[in-house]
Amino acid sequence: MRENGKMKNDYKVKTENITVDYGEKRALHGINLNISSNEVTSLIGPSGCGKSTFIRCINRMNDLIDGCKVNGKILIDNEDINNQNMDVVELRAKVGMVFQKPNPFPKSIFDNVAYGPRIHGTVKNKEELENMVRKSLKRAGLWNEVHDRLDASGLSLSGGQQQRLCIARAIAVNPDILLMDEPCSALDPIATAVIEELINELKERYTIMIVTHSMQQAARLSQKTAYFHLGEMIEFGDTSSIFTNPKHEMTEAYISGKIG
Amino acid sequence: MSIINIYMIIIMLLSISSYFYGRNFIKNKTSTSTEKQHSKDTYHGAFISLYLILPSIIFLSLWIVISPNIIDELLTIKIIYIFGQLGIDELKILKSQVIALSNGVLIAGNLSEEVNYISDYYLYIQTVSKKIYIILSCLGSAAAFLYARKKITIRFNARFNVEVIVKSIMILASLIAILTTVGIILSLVVETIRFFEIINIADFLFGLKWSPQIALRADQVANEGLFGAVPLFAGTLMITVIAMVVAVPIGLMTAVYLSEYASNTLRSIAKPALEILAGIPTVVYGFFAALTVAPFLRDKGADIGLTLSSESALAAGLVMGIMIIPLISSLSDDVINAVPQSLREGSAALGSTKSETVKKVILPAALPGIVSAILLAVSRAIGETMIVVMAAGVAANLTANPFESVTAVTVQIVVLLVGDQEFDSAKTLAAFALGFTLFIITLGLNILSIYIIRKYREQYD
Repeated sequence: MRENGKMKNDYKVKTENITVDYGEKRALHGINLNISSNEVTSLIGPSGCGKSTFIRCINRMNDLIDGCKVNGKILIDNEDINNQNMDVVELRAKVGMVFQKPNPFPKSIFDNVAYGPRIHGTVKNKEELENMVRKSLKRAGLWNEVHDRLDASGLSLSGGQQQRLCIARAIAVNPDILLMDEPCSALDPIATAVIEELINELKERYTIMIVTHSMQQAARLSQKTAYFHLGEMIEFGDTSSIFTNPKHEMTEAYISGKIG
Repeated sequence: MSIINIYMIIIMLLSISSYFYGRNFIKNKTSTSTEKQHSKDTYHGAFISLYLILPSIIFLSLWIVISPNIIDELLTIKIIYIFGQLGIDELKILKSQVIALSNGVLIAGNLSEEVNYISDYYLYIQTVSKKIYIILSCLGSAAAFLYARKKITIRFNARFNVEVIVKSIMILASLIAILTTVGIILSLVVETIRFFEIINIADFLFGLKWSPQIALRADQVANEGLFGAVPLFAGTLMITVIAMVVAVPIGLMTAVYLSEYASNTLRSIAKPALEILAGIPTVVYGFFAALTVAPFLRDKGADIGLTLSSESALAAGLVMGIMIIPLISSLSDDVINAVPQSLREGSAALGSTKSETVKKVILPAALPGIVSAILLAVSRAIGETMIVVMAAGVAANLTANPFESVTAVTVQIVVLLVGDQEFDSAKTLAAFALGFTLFIITLGLNILSIYIIRKYREQYD
């Protein structure tokens, strides 16, 4: 983990005045947020506050939604990704994403993980591909459970395993950044604990942004926390200070359970 | 208008008014009582109104089934009584004369006095039977009405009783459809068995020559035609294959385009447009094939040195393919739309382009549904008649050349049954055998497609 704010240019992701409109409705009102490398940044806030919309800007997933407009600058490694010329395919290879509900493809476990390397052509031969799959499954902490049944359908796994498979699938593309949109909300507490432990390990290699509804999870996992409310970012700072000493009264109200 | 029609209209009007009567009846009862009414007023109204009309409808259906038999029997007795014992043929002729006369088709002056007399008698028993029906159903309806009226009390559970009646009406309606199907299948089976009593089943299934024209006189030599169905099924198969080669890629790509690429506006125009294509009567496709496509193909073929007959499997197959496109595209479109959005997002988030997502995720996930859509389309193509009748020809050639004229099973069924028929000749019965075989094939395809859908459905939540 790096020192907080050591260098101004060291931020992995910088957003400047992001606004998002779904048709007539404005979902995000000018968000400025800087994310440091190799940290977990969690986004918390009540439902509909725009936290998912925000992380979907980082890999341009909002492009898939009809009538959704994203304005503002999003700099990843000082390159603005929010413009027409950006190759979204390349961007999404760099910014992986894990969704709320585990969504393995209806393919074998192996093919699920091999999907990304195959489409991007990052591996040259079968052996490299197998190494890649093994490495990714190991990093996602799934290897020991599935190494003897890589041909089984990804859908045959339990919910928590499916989610780790999705993480392995995202890792296999070699991203720098991992976006996680409530990755544990469809899982039971034990599976959640396994995933949290995994996220803790993954931050050594990746910059992680996680949307969560669980404040305990944010407190346990993240170094930075941003509190969103009705499309605005109310407060952003070190997790410890946000949870112990919130500067804004709305943050305090949310953390103490008065709103949300 | 016949007296029966007038009676039915009156009964319907009575039934409607008895609905209001029933409502007021219970209202008045409740207003003078302290008890709480069990069912709403409308249920009491519906109860009494259904009770009024049902006997008339039940009697009507019974009368339609039974009365012609009784009248026919009475007519036979009368004819025998007057003319003495007759042969079956003479009896038939006399009967049809009597019926034609009473319908005003024949003129009375040309026939004997006895026939005129029996004709009057025939008209008379018809009138009597109508009167009997009306009297019986009047009594039935009146009794049911009074019974229902007596049943209606404040605590009467009219709601439940209406439910029971409505349920039995539903059961009856679905029974009609099922029984009709069973009846059709049974008649197919019976006639097919009769056919196989005349023609060896192996000759039919494996015979290579189809030439059903039976000699005109029964004593003529070789009075059995040749009933080898292979050329027909080969023709059907070839046309179906051509149709599928046209329809599957186009239909599938249309479906993928509409569900994955097209904007909402385009989709809202293109989908109805495709449905219009599905709504064109097949006979229109038929003459399109015969008058436009077939000559066009023949001329263009001649230009590049191919000899196409003016009725070719190719023309029929192409047009049938066009006809089936909407079927495949709209079924596949539904299946593709049913693939969860989360899979699209997952694939996109890994950096796939849209076509990669379609090829590697969506189509594999939708495959069972697409396969079953194709199987349904195949069974549609096999059963299609009009296009092949008009565009493919009637000559039963056993050929693998799509430029030649072939014939299909359905075409031969039409050919066999058009014109004057003798109902027990092998030629007529052959139509049933062909129909039955076709039915078995399409049934098999439909079952297979349902099986595929069932088997793979749950997998993709």
